Amino acid sequence: MAVVEMRKLVVIGLNNIRTPFLQELMALGVVQINSQEGQIDDQEWMPDIFRTSNSADVSRLEADILRVHTALDAINRYDEGKKPLFLIRDEFENDAFDRYMDKEKTAIERNVDTAFLANKTIVESQNEINRLSGLIVGLEPWKNSDLPLQIGETETVSVLFGTTNAKTNFAELAVELQVASPSVIVEQVSADPQQMYISFICLKEERDAALDALRKFSFNMVALSDHEGTAAEAIGNIEKQIEKWETKKAQAEDELKSLSGAKKSMSHLYDSLCVRRDRAKIVGNMVSTEEVFYFDGWMLWNTRDDVEALLEEYDCYFRYEKPAEDEEPPVFLNNGNFATPFEAITSMYSLPSSKDIDPTKWLAPFYFIFFGMMLSDAAYGIIISVVCAVAIKKYKLEGSLYRMVKMFFYCGISTFFWGAMFGGWFGDFFTVAAKLFFGADFTIQPIWFNPLEEPMTLLVFSLILGAIHLFVGMGLQASILIKEGKKVDALCDIGLWYLLLIGLVLYGVGGMVTPALGTIGMVMSIVGAVGIVATGGRTKKGIVGKITGGLGSLYGITSYLSDVLSYSRLLALGLATGVIAQVINLLGSLAGGGITGAIVLTIAFLFGTVFNIAINMLGAFVHSCRLQYVEFFGKFYTGGGKPFEPFERKTKYIKIIKEEKNNG
Amino acid sequence: MVESLFSGEFLALAGAAVAALAGIGSAIGVGVAGEAAAGVVSEDPNKFGQVLLLQALPGTQGIYGLLMAFLIMNKVGLLSGSMASLTMIQGASLFAAAVPIGLVGIFSGIAQGKAAAAGIMLVGKKPSEMAKGMLFAAMVETYAVLALLVSFLMYNNIQI
Repeated sequence: MAVVEMRKLVVIGLNNIRTPFLQELMALGVVQINSQEGQIDDQEWMPDIFRTSNSADVSRLEADILRVHTALDAINRYDEGKKPLFLIRDEFENDAFDRYMDKEKTAIERNVDTAFLANKTIVESQNEINRLSGLIVGLEPWKNSDLPLQIGETETVSVLFGTTNAKTNFAELAVELQVASPSVIVEQVSADPQQMYISFICLKEERDAALDALRKFSFNMVALSDHEGTAAEAIGNIEKQIEKWETKKAQAEDELKSLSGAKKSMSHLYDSLCVRRDRAKIVGNMVSTEEVFYFDGWMLWNTRDDVEALLEEYDCYFRYEKPAEDEEPPVFLNNGNFATPFEAITSMYSLPSSKDIDPTKWLAPFYFIFFGMMLSDAAYGIIISVVCAVAIKKYKLEGSLYRMVKMFFYCGISTFFWGAMFGGWFGDFFTVAAKLFFGADFTIQPIWFNPLEEPMTLLVFSLILGAIHLFVGMGLQASILIKEGKKVDALCDIGLWYLLLIGLVLYGVGGMVTPALGTIGMVMSIVGAVGIVATGGRTKKGIVGKITGGLGSLYGITSYLSDVLSYSRLLALGLATGVIAQVINLLGSLAGGGITGAIVLTIAFLFGTVFNIAINMLGAFVHSCRLQYVEFFGKFYTGGGKPFEPFERKTKYIKIIKEEKNNG
Repeated sequence: MVESLFSGEFLALAGAAVAALAGIGSAIGVGVAGEAAAGVVSEDPNKFGQVLLLQALPGTQGIYGLLMAFLIMNKVGLLSGSMASLTMIQGASLFAAAVPIGLVGIFSGIAQGKAAAAGIMLVGKKPSEMAKGMLFAAMVETYAVLALLVSFLMYNNIQI
C-alpha cells in the first residue's frame, strides 16, 4: 500500500445543487479541493466566469465561532469539575448530529450569550476594580488630612495639596512659606521614603508667592478635587464601589459556574459552526459562471466508487487525470496494521515526495528492534506497554497522538523482549531485594547473555544489525534507481558497494573460518573497489575528472565505516539503562534490610524507576530516530511531500461515526 | 604523601571523580537550553512540553558520567564497604578509562546545549519541526555515546 495513489479530479456541476453536493462531499472527506487562485485568467473566458466567494458568510461564521470560543473559555476558567487529560470526543451518527443541532441550536445559543455576557461583565468589573484600587493607592498618603479634597478654592483662599522632596525639613519649609505668605496654614500630612505630603491654605493673592517659595523643595501639586469629602471619606466611598463591582463579578462568576453543565452542548455548537465555516470557505476555492461551478482537486484513487456515485447522483460532469510530470500530488500514507503507527516517525522527518517510496514499512521493524535494545529492560517494557494500552483504551486517542502511543506500545513489547534476552528486570532489582531481605542469591538468568559481562558480543551484534539496516537502505535506493530506468547507476553505485563491503566482511571474518572464504572475500572486495574507482567518475568529463571522481567515491568508504560505528549506540544506551537501574537499586539498598530498608528501597525504587524510564525513553526515542533519519534515510530518502488535506468535517469535540474509517 | 597520591586506590577514585565531571557539560548545556526554553515559553506557554524535552537532551552526559563513576566505585568495592587493594597500574588504568567520558562529556554537553537551545528557538517559530530540532542536538550526543563506549570497554577489560 504505502503511498496511496492520487488522481486529479475535475468537476463541473450546476449551481443549484452546489450546497447539498458540498455537504455530502464533505461527509465523504476524500477529496482535497485546490485553490483556483490565478488558475483561470484566460482572456476569452474572463468576462463570464468569476471566483465565487462568500467572505461575508465566512466572516459572520468566524465571529460566531469566536463568540462560542470565548464563552467556552470563560466557562472552563470557572469550571471546578475535573478536567480529563485528553479530550474524549462525543460520538454521533451522521444524520443524528444535524438533527440534534437543528433542534437544540437556539437553546445552546442562549447559553452562549449568557456566558459571553457574564464574561464581559467579569472583565469590566475587574477593570473597574483595578482602576478604583489605583485611586485608593493615590489617596492613601492623604488619609490623615481633615481637609475636604474637593474645595480647591473658596472666594478668598486657595487650598493646595502636593508633594515635596523626601529629605525636606518641614520646620524649615514652614518658616520659609510663612515669610512668603504670612496668611499660610501649612500641614505635613504624611511622608514615605520617596516623598513628603503637605497641604496648605493661603489667601488667593499670596498663592503665587507661596508656590515660588516652595519651588526649592521641589514641590509638585497633586490634583485631588475629583474626590468628595476628606481623603478618608473618599477612600471609604471607593471601597464601597469596589465592593459593588466585586459582587457583580461574583454574580457573573456564579453564572458561569452554573453553566458548566452546558459546556458540552456548546462545544457541539462550536464544531457545527466550524464545519459550516469550512464549507463556506471552500466555495472560495471554486470558480463559477451564472449556471455552473467548477473545481479541481486530488482524490484518493481507491475511493473512486464512492466519489463517482456521489457525482453521478448530482449529475456533475467529471474527469480524472493522472498527475502530470511536474505536479506533486499530496501524500496520504496507508500502511498495514503494524507499520501504521510508525508513520509518526516518517512524517516527523518529511513525507515522501512523488519520487520517493514510503519508507515506513521498512523502518518500522528496525525502529521496533532499536528502541527495544536501547531500553532493554523487561519490566520497563511491560510498564510502557501497559500504560500505552490503558491510555489508548481509556482516552480513545485518535490521529497522530494515537499513532504515537500505539508505536510506544509496540516498542514496549520490543523492550520487554530484549530485556528478557539480556536479563534486565528493573536492572537487578530482584537480586538486590532477595539478598537484602532474604539473604538469598537469586538472579533472573538472561535468555541470551548479560551485556555487562560480554559487551563485545553485543557490540558486534549491534554493528551487524546496523550493517543490515544500511544494506536495506542501499537496496531501496537501488530499487528506486531501477524503477527510474537507471539500471547502470543501480549497478555501479549500489551493486559494486555491496560487493566491496560484503567482500571486506568475508575477508575479515570469513577468513577466520576457512581460508577459502577469505580468498573469495578478497577477490570480491578487489573487484568491487576497482569497479568503484572505474565507474565513480563516469559522469565527469576528461580523464583527470574520471580518475579523481572514481577515487573520490572510493573514499566514501569512510562514511560507511562511520555509519556502521554509529550503531554502537545500541550497546551504549542499552548499558546506560541497565547500569542506572543498578545505581538506583544500590542506593535503595544502602539502608540495609528490615522495615526501614524496605521503605528506603521502595522510595528510591519508585522515584528512580520513573526517572530512568523517562530519561532513557527519551534517549531511545531520539537515537532510534537518528539512526533512521541520518544513517538509513541518508541512503535513499529525500522527502518533501505535502500532506493530503481532504475537504472534510474537521471537528474538535465531536466524532461523526461515518468518518471513522478515514481517520486511521 | 606523594606515594599515597599514586596509590592504586586513590587513582581509581580520582578516575571516578573525573568521570563524574561530565556533569559540568550537562549542567551548562541544560542551563543554556533552559534559558532559550524560558524565552519561548514566555511567548507561548503551550510549548512547555515540547521545549522541556529538548532541554533534557544535553542532560545525558551527566548521566553517562555518573554511570561510569558508579561502575568504577563498584568495581573497587567502595560502595560495598570493603575496598580492594589495587596496584598503581590498576588504579591508573581505571583513571584512564574514566577520561574519555569525563572530558568528552564536558565539551559535548556544552555543545549539545547550544544545539538544543537553537532547536528550542526552532520550535518557537515552527512547532511542527520539533523532530528536526531534536535531531540536531542528538547529532552532538553521538560523540558522548562513543566516548562512553570507549570508557566502558576500557573499564570492562581491566582486571582486578
